[in-house]
Amino acid sequence: MKQDTPWTYSGYRRRQTLRIWTIALVIGFCAYWAGVSCKVDVDALRTGLPKGIDFLGYLFPPDWTAFADMAMPALETILLAFLATIFGAFLSLFFGLAAASNIAPRWLRNLSRFLLATERSLPEIVILLLLISALGLGPFPGVIAMAFGCIGMLGRLFSDAIEEINPATLESIESVGARRWQVITYGVLPQVLPSLLANTIFRFEVNIRLSVLLGAVGAGGIGFQLYYSFQTLQYQRATTAILITLLLVFVSERLSDYVRKKLTLDARL
Amino acid sequence: MGANTARLLSFQILARMIDVRQITKSTKEGVPILKGISFTVTKGEFVGILGPSGAGKTLTMRCLNGLTRPTSGEVLFTDHEHNLVNLTHARGRELRKARRQIGVIFQGFNLVKRLSAIDNVMIGQLGRINLLRSLVYGFTDDEARQALAVLEHLNVAHLAHRPVGSLSGGEQQRVAIARAIYQQPAVMLADEPIANLDPTNARKIMQILTPLAKEMPIIGVFHQPDLVMEFCTRIIALKEGVVVRDGDSKMTRSELVDLYGAELSEIEASQRILQPA
Amino acid sequence: MNVSLDKQYLPSERYKRHAAYLAVLAVVIIGLCSYFKFEPLLFISDFHYMADLVVEMTPPNFEVLWRKEKIFASILQTLSMAFLGTLAGGAVAMGLAFLAARNTTPHPAVGAVIRTLLAIERVIPSLVILLLFLIAVGLGPFAGMLSLAVGTIGMFGKLFANAIEGAEKEPIDAVHSVGASKLQVIRYAVIPQVLPSFIANLFYAFDINLRAAIGLGVFGGAGVGYEISMAMRLVRYRDALALICFTILLVFAVEKLSDWLRSRALGQDLLK
Repeated sequence: MKQDTPWTYSGYRRRQTLRIWTIALVIGFCAYWAGVSCKVDVDALRTGLPKGIDFLGYLFPPDWTAFADMAMPALETILLAFLATIFGAFLSLFFGLAAASNIAPRWLRNLSRFLLATERSLPEIVILLLLISALGLGPFPGVIAMAFGCIGMLGRLFSDAIEEINPATLESIESVGARRWQVITYGVLPQVLPSLLANTIFRFEVNIRLSVLLGAVGAGGIGFQLYYSFQTLQYQRATTAILITLLLVFVSERLSDYVRKKLTLDARL
Repeated sequence: MGANTARLLSFQILARMIDVRQITKSTKEGVPILKGISFTVTKGEFVGILGPSGAGKTLTMRCLNGLTRPTSGEVLFTDHEHNLVNLTHARGRELRKARRQIGVIFQGFNLVKRLSAIDNVMIGQLGRINLLRSLVYGFTDDEARQALAVLEHLNVAHLAHRPVGSLSGGEQQRVAIARAIYQQPAVMLADEPIANLDPTNARKIMQILTPLAKEMPIIGVFHQPDLVMEFCTRIIALKEGVVVRDGDSKMTRSELVDLYGAELSEIEASQRILQPA
Repeated sequence: MNVSLDKQYLPSERYKRHAAYLAVLAVVIIGLCSYFKFEPLLFISDFHYMADLVVEMTPPNFEVLWRKEKIFASILQTLSMAFLGTLAGGAVAMGLAFLAARNTTPHPAVGAVIRTLLAIERVIPSLVILLLFLIAVGLGPFAGMLSLAVGTIGMFGKLFANAIEGAEKEPIDAVHSVGASKLQVIRYAVIPQVLPSFIANLFYAFDINLRAAIGLGVFGGAGVGYEISMAMRLVRYRDALALICFTILLVFAVEKLSDWLRSRALGQDLLK
């Protein structure tokens, strides 16, 4: 059929235009119904936006005296993220190994990949809600939620890194009569360590951001201060919390960028 | 059979470090690659395996270390303690125990690139050291000193603490050989240990291997007939999965033409580069 | 033995160093934990509470998914928030990217200003943006969608600008050399080069936004996130588990769908 009609520029243009219009129509249709479902209200935005900008006035000047109160929660947030990252990375390592095709048997790999994908589909905040129902409010469920939240992403990245290892290297360690765990310790871990660290540090940055959100639900730290100040209409105090949060996020981002750049330079072996 | 003959027989078996009996191997689709290979290797031999590409040389080597299981036939290995191990059937603990005594030098070195040279050498004894110690602690100072001595023997002691990935091909090859020596095996297998090396390095490696063969038999796959004839004590020629020649280390040119066919001109071209001008 | 090992290279010295690092780390962690009264061991001693919860949650009450119209609508709402947030945010991000990229910006100063704004915007937590929109347009999915859109601008504006700056120079020069205007150059030399990366990133943004929409829903009073948190708060654990299962399935399915669409879209783009 296709060979029958010779290729012409006008025909190509026509098909191209038709396709673009079809895609545009489909997107437009989806967007319209999504708008209805989302209760998009342009009037509300028009009247609300000036209101929002007016409101920004209430945020200033920041309540500098609150800085002292916020220093400890800020430290707590860092600690929360730090503990969660370490704990989560540790767990992820095992999942990563179990999900790597060159280490684990097929059934274990498939099972682990499935679990990791399931975890990735589960937002951290849902895990936190579950943990809060079981353990009550506090920083502790926050740490656990973030740690579990790491597993989906880090486990997947770890296992991808592990699968990139040349199988011949592992075979050569096996050839001296080493056991599987020795192969992992001496053949796998040294090879993936830089990428492991780089991903873990990136996840630390993500966890700092997350801990703001989770803190608001009740995991403590600066996120809780921020949300609580908003809820109690202490907007200038909230600004202080926002500024501290910005600082935390900014510094962790710089730090993770810097360390990752250093690690990838090292990793060029 | 009298008791004397039995003892004599067992002695003969003991003298054979590696006894390959009629091994065959087919691909998953059933295409035969090895079609019944047999040979025995005894102490003091430096065996060079020659043959054109696709003859099954590397696969034979893999069968000798139990990395690949032959479809039929068996490989018998006699270790330091004169235990006879059937590598074809050995699994788990028994296989690991046998592998401790089989040193392998791989074609692509296959070292752990990010570990230092000395750590790679010490990996050679992983099979012998306590599992818990190797996981929790690592190597001892004495092991490190011994490993350094082996590296020194191969003239690469100054590279001991460099990551292997940053070393040149010749240096990596020496580290791989050091690992195999440090392993203190009963027999050494070398899969193209001098492929991809420049002529000077290739010759040096052969000069390192030759005295070693006096202590432990070495079975090597090579692509350089002239070096094999110069250094090895015996040549086994493989072609299309069968042994076509098994004898002393002298092959005439017509034999080489028979063995390699059209490939010979390529090999000779690369050898011409090998000859010092 | 004619060679000796430097002391610093002795394995025992190396392991002592490692042990020292670990000890310092452990002391810091334990110190901080005790300061903030964390007790990681609680996880083990309180484990039975979690087991209890699991018992209370099973079997999931899937009926809730079709019994109440509101719940089904909330799932659609979450999808819509993510979709519109990506669409609106992506469109604005693209526009800004062309203004910000060094090779297409109308003026270097404009580019610098926009890049700075994008950098600042990127570090503002999504919760803060959501709280501001909640004040502006009130509780509901619209605020969530707007904050997702703003988040998308911050996240992808810079990526898009980088993609534009990474476009090859030769085709741009070629189109320039036939006397095309700046806009024509963008249309015929830049867009064809960056479109595949834009499309791939938009799909990626949608995946991220869908997850974020569930999380923000808890605060914004909309979507399936809100329904889950309500179910938990009202101790309707079996309903909550049904919703959670459905959410996982939804995210899973949408991810697969967007993977498929992306490979189709990009495949066709490559054929062009």
